Amino acid sequence: MVLPVIVSFYITLAVLSPWLYRLFKERTGTVLGLLILLSAAALWGWLLPLNIQHQTLHMMLDWAPQLGIALSFQLDGLSYLMGLLITGIGGLIVIYGSVYLANHPAIPRFLSIVLLFMSAMLGLVLSGNALLLFMFWELTSITSFLLIGFDHDRPNARVAAWQALLVTGSGGLAMLAGFSLLFMISGTFEIQAWIHQAQQIKQHALAPAAFILILLGAMTKSAQFPFHFWLPNAMEAPTPVSAYLHSATMVKAGVYLLARLFPLFGDMPIWGSTVPLIGIVTLTGGALLALGQTDLKRILAYTTVGALGGLVFLLGLGTPVAIKTVPVFLLAHALYKGSLFLVAGGIDHAVHNRNITELGRLSKAMPYTALAAMFSALAMVGFPPSLGFIAKELAYESILKTGSSLWTILAVAGFSAMAGVALWLGFVPFWAKPARELHPHGETPALYIPPLILALLGFVTGIVPQATANILVKPAAMAVLPQVSTVKLTLWHGITPYLLLSTLTVLLAGIMYPLRHRFIELAARLWNKVHLIGPANLYNKTLEAILAFAAWQTRLLQSGYLRVYVLFIVLTTIALTVYTAWTRLAGSFPLPDWTAPRFYDYMLTVIIIVAAIAVTRTTSRLATIALLGSIGYSIAILFMLYSAPDLSMVQFAIETLTVILFVLVIYRLPKFIQRTTRIPHVFDLMVSLASGGLMTLLMLLVSSHPGESSISDFYTRNSLSKAYGRNIVNVILVDFRGLDTMGEITVLTLAAIGVLALIQLTLSDKNISSMPQRKIQKSVLLESSALYMMPLLLIFSIFLLLRGHNKIGGGFVGGLVAASALMLYAIAISPEALRRLISIKPRLLVAGGLMIAMFSGLVGMTLEKPFMTGLWLPQTLPVIDKAGTPILFDAGVYFVVIGVVLWILLTFATE
Amino acid sequence: MILLFAIASGVLFATGIYMLLRRSLVKILIGLLLLSYAVNLLLFSSANLIPAKPPIIPPSENTPPPGFADPVPQALILTAIVISFGTIAFAMVLIRQSHIVSGTDDMNKMRCSDLPCETDEVVDKHSIEVDKKGDIPA
Amino acid sequence: MIALAIIAPLSFAILMLILSNRPSMQRWAALPASLATFVITIFIFYFSLTSDIQTVQAGNWQAPFGITLVVDTFSAMMLVISGVLAVLLSAYSIGQIDPQRIKAGFYPLFFFLITGVNGAFCAGDLFNLYVWFEVMLMASFVLVALGGERIQIEGAVKYLIPNLLASTLLLCAIGLLYNLVGTLNMADMAIRLKNVQPYGQVTVVAVLLLIAFGIKSAVFPLFFWLPASYHTPPVTITALFSGLLTKVGVYALYRVFTLLFTQDVVYTHTLILLLAGFTMLSGVFGATAQTDMRRLLSFHIISQIGYLLLGLGLFNQEALAAGIYFMVHIILAKTALFMISGIVFELKGSYNLKQLGGLYATKPYLSLMFLLPALSLAGLPPLSGFFAKLALIVAGFALQQYPIVAVGLFVSFFTLYSMTKVWNEAFWKNDIESVHVHQGRVSIWLWAPTLGLVALSTAAGILVAPLYTICQIAAAQLSDPSIYITATLGSIP
Repeated sequence: MVLPVIVSFYITLAVLSPWLYRLFKERTGTVLGLLILLSAAALWGWLLPLNIQHQTLHMMLDWAPQLGIALSFQLDGLSYLMGLLITGIGGLIVIYGSVYLANHPAIPRFLSIVLLFMSAMLGLVLSGNALLLFMFWELTSITSFLLIGFDHDRPNARVAAWQALLVTGSGGLAMLAGFSLLFMISGTFEIQAWIHQAQQIKQHALAPAAFILILLGAMTKSAQFPFHFWLPNAMEAPTPVSAYLHSATMVKAGVYLLARLFPLFGDMPIWGSTVPLIGIVTLTGGALLALGQTDLKRILAYTTVGALGGLVFLLGLGTPVAIKTVPVFLLAHALYKGSLFLVAGGIDHAVHNRNITELGRLSKAMPYTALAAMFSALAMVGFPPSLGFIAKELAYESILKTGSSLWTILAVAGFSAMAGVALWLGFVPFWAKPARELHPHGETPALYIPPLILALLGFVTGIVPQATANILVKPAAMAVLPQVSTVKLTLWHGITPYLLLSTLTVLLAGIMYPLRHRFIELAARLWNKVHLIGPANLYNKTLEAILAFAAWQTRLLQSGYLRVYVLFIVLTTIALTVYTAWTRLAGSFPLPDWTAPRFYDYMLTVIIIVAAIAVTRTTSRLATIALLGSIGYSIAILFMLYSAPDLSMVQFAIETLTVILFVLVIYRLPKFIQRTTRIPHVFDLMVSLASGGLMTLLMLLVSSHPGESSISDFYTRNSLSKAYGRNIVNVILVDFRGLDTMGEITVLTLAAIGVLALIQLTLSDKNISSMPQRKIQKSVLLESSALYMMPLLLIFSIFLLLRGHNKIGGGFVGGLVAASALMLYAIAISPEALRRLISIKPRLLVAGGLMIAMFSGLVGMTLEKPFMTGLWLPQTLPVIDKAGTPILFDAGVYFVVIGVVLWILLTFATE
Repeated sequence: MILLFAIASGVLFATGIYMLLRRSLVKILIGLLLLSYAVNLLLFSSANLIPAKPPIIPPSENTPPPGFADPVPQALILTAIVISFGTIAFAMVLIRQSHIVSGTDDMNKMRCSDLPCETDEVVDKHSIEVDKKGDIPA
Repeated sequence: MIALAIIAPLSFAILMLILSNRPSMQRWAALPASLATFVITIFIFYFSLTSDIQTVQAGNWQAPFGITLVVDTFSAMMLVISGVLAVLLSAYSIGQIDPQRIKAGFYPLFFFLITGVNGAFCAGDLFNLYVWFEVMLMASFVLVALGGERIQIEGAVKYLIPNLLASTLLLCAIGLLYNLVGTLNMADMAIRLKNVQPYGQVTVVAVLLLIAFGIKSAVFPLFFWLPASYHTPPVTITALFSGLLTKVGVYALYRVFTLLFTQDVVYTHTLILLLAGFTMLSGVFGATAQTDMRRLLSFHIISQIGYLLLGLGLFNQEALAAGIYFMVHIILAKTALFMISGIVFELKGSYNLKQLGGLYATKPYLSLMFLLPALSLAGLPPLSGFFAKLALIVAGFALQQYPIVAVGLFVSFFTLYSMTKVWNEAFWKNDIESVHVHQGRVSIWLWAPTLGLVALSTAAGILVAPLYTICQIAAAQLSDPSIYITATLGSIP
């Protein structure tokens, strides 16, 4: 239980730190730091006995079992070592950072992000579930992103942060895929479970793929070649951050993951053939790259890359001695490298300069910093009695045990380069002659005590090697490779080849010291050439290439031409449908049985076809209207001929309305012009012909079926008996499928709202008063006839509405008739007159109609019946022999239609 | 007969699509009208075409005469006609407005809603310029 | 009960229509009204968990002869989400929609839109589904154009034409299906379609339907209308659209391709997978090329539609569950992001990443509010986007569909890229001289609902276990049509 508690404790601190800052002001950092150090001391002290006895803690809470993710934590030797570093160095960093960044406005933000990172990193090394680990892994990436970009007003900081996030993020995705593959193979995300069934997993064909994907994740995180380039750029971060995230802890996550999964993958051939190679290349490469740098932090960054390479290399070798070396090396490196970073920060803070070729003679101004620098540099060189020395001994031992001279040479080169650089870092700024006069202001305890502590620890651990071995190294090593039974660390075990190699290394480093200027210039010139073909450039080029392609495809597709969009849709439809028909029907094309057409059919279809074609050619508005009308009316007649009287009535009415509207609109638009040139014309022609042909074929295809409706006979049987209507179509509309009609009148209403909204808004643009009122020529005849016609028409419309349930008619047609009557009145006298006549606004008419329709549907619900259930009065009445809610519903439709038509046309009329 | 219906509907489709592919808004509008005609014909022929037997129950009977036309497609078309009337009415006004506000009825002159009309781009930097000596310019 | 999901918003819409001349009154009536709708959806959801599929035979005519409203768990979830968005966005609209737009009928349209959406979620009858689609579309047409600025009208035209084309195709498909099986009730249709000979005819119609719904849900290469129009109206409307409209299209695809067209899965669902891949890529590529926050987000809608199709295309119970969870995730996260872009506009008077900047320094909490859904979209744990993608990856691997999973991961990388790009430009970069900088504090009506939605989308990640269980229930119902059919028809004849 303690493990999640401690993590959440630090998370709470992270969340609270802004408020704590209100309490303690600039002392917040110190307070938090001490809090962390104390809690850490308590925790690890309490867990120490367990660790020495190599016991592991487990605890698991369910989170999302369906997805295999659980809050399962575990603590073993490896986690213990990492956790110790994370919390210990974390505490020091918080103290150091709060002083380093004193009077920076965003310091509370800094503290909480660092704390958040610490919690995430701690969670990472304590997770027993791969997905939980992944969660913390990504959280460290995000916090690192926010910290690298801490000075976000500098473009370089932003870019560096972005690059780091994208590189590690892409690796993270690969890793997630790898984990998911392992889940597919093993059915779990629990790391221990994987290790238990390692044998079965390794049998699986995809195990190597999973390994490679996970390896990619580890490589990006731990800055292994060719993904190392983000780490030096990450030096944009404030120095305490670089010390903590980018050397001591976060970048070790990849190494940690490989170590964690060593029991699973360690003896796969692909491990042996990839991991050591990557490691050694990164080791030597990083070390040599460090030579070309002049900025203290970038030098440190490249040596960190080298050291990480060394760790990966050792894991790759996987021999007991190599595995034994890993914890020692990891610990030693964390101590001296962290300290050196903090020293660099101190220097930067004192003289605002990090260029090693310009620094010098700072020992007087900052003696303690100089001391810390010296100790940690010696540890890095591998000077006895430091832990660094022991680490190097073991490293050389493991390499020599492989018996490969190439690897030995490379390793010696790498370590020597790093040792040489270490001497520069540790001594040049303090003792060498500066290029120009520097005016350092003194040093503050908070800035030299943390590095001093770390540096001294590097020696303490070396002086009592066996204690270190038993407390930290052995448990960690056994967690990776249980076969490691004994770990004996000594400073002196006689003259051994390893000792000779170490001495050689130190000597080379010594030789390099005076020659540093030549080295730096030479290497810098070399690396600037190499840089052009380096992975960093490759990364940028690839990313830019993809983005360029993306922009290109977007410009291509999102061209802004509506016709292109329509074209895409039509072509897709044709292509997919034809292809499907071709493959799925496989030639079998059932044809319908023909019934011989009659004369009218020929006539009407020919009219339709001719008119349709003519419409596309004509440029006269009048002709267009006439042609469209003729099409519509011919269709109406067809409906009539094929026993759909209601349909044809509605078609007639709608056609008329459409034409009226069209007239109102089209005469405000410019004359037609021929725009598209010939070639697109031909192309469009082909496309449209294809689509038309397609539809014809589809119709014929499906018409091969008898077309016997499975539901219509139900309607005929129940239309009269249950729904009390003889006009089945109308009964379907208002009763059987009343809900459709409900939606239909809603759409009408919306159309009316839309028309009004659009026109209103332009009216409000050019205010109405300024619009010329045009005089309407009134004819007395029309006027008087309208006066008599209107009432008659209105009565007729109501008659239509009422009889509609049994004979041709219905609310819709009735409504249209009534509307036309009123429009006639409006045209004859004037819209204003009409407004006066019907005191009620069209809008309210529509709303009323909708309400009536709704109400008729709700009545049934009061009797526990479903929505729109028809209720009927027992007795019969004149005209409509039965009265019931469906009739009421029809009346609702009637009013909506009147309202909508008036609404739309009056809106036009006012304009 | 279905053949004639299919052909007529097909022609209406073809002409409708053709008009949709024009640049002039009015023509696009006409295209929409033609398409709605085409669909009505298609729906109508989705049941057997039976002349002169409307699905109406004569006063004396309880069921319509045998072999009457299927009422369902008729009801569907009724709904569809009305809906398409609503949408087309709106489309007409919309197109008219777009002519008023943009002063043209040429769709090709209306691309602002796709292409950022001000054509300046965010400069995406992905590399840090590191000067020859390897220091980062402060 | 479930009829109320349609009745309630419809009656509120009518109410708002009557109140058209009283903008302020509408403004304040909207919130309680949408709250009422939300409560109803909650009840429906609750019943869908306790009882099995709920049905209403409208007009008391037994299926397949009347119109049946069917609500299974999937529909219920979608109903609840639409309820949530209705509440939050009607609150948001109080702070954003200007009186002129209200006069022009914003609130009636708002509730008519909800009506259409809910209707589509409840429809158990194919033609009825079409009708509700039309209600929804008609309302959205007007909403896009509402305000009448040039760019809006332009966007409206480009939105209108392709969608009307889609409706035409949909109607054709329905006609052809009626011709094949002579029924409209989807459950009945599902039974009858099985014995159509030759079955190829059904597949052809299925593809037609796929295209019709594909246009409405912005699938490659039919999506161009979306980036052309979504960014033109005020953010409230854009957020509403991004949350609901395209998702209704996807819902319809999920419905018909799990219920009706399950005989030739190898062909149809492979086709869907193909479309999914291209949609993901094309959408995210479009996003990386944008400099306008709303355009960028609009393109992301498309790439995520691709992920939803991926869930459908993989087509087994786990994949469907993953798809449904993904649907919940993006509706919440994406709508939140749009609402945040609205707040940013309030503050800076621009959506353009070049003119924005300095928000991280001045508005830390807004930055956090952006970061959560943005990273969720990019798929970072423990946010909902991560679990959604994980579930899809696992399902894809289980079906050995490695290439499409790879595409999904690739796209997810560029989602991270463009989200962090927004962060760099709008939040980190120093404040550039903006059009106008709104000094005062943001109206509570803007940030409170946004905060609520951010909290919800975060909770959807943390509380993944219960939510995912519900998704699995929904998926189980989808992957066994007989449940739906028996619930609708009473029994399988």
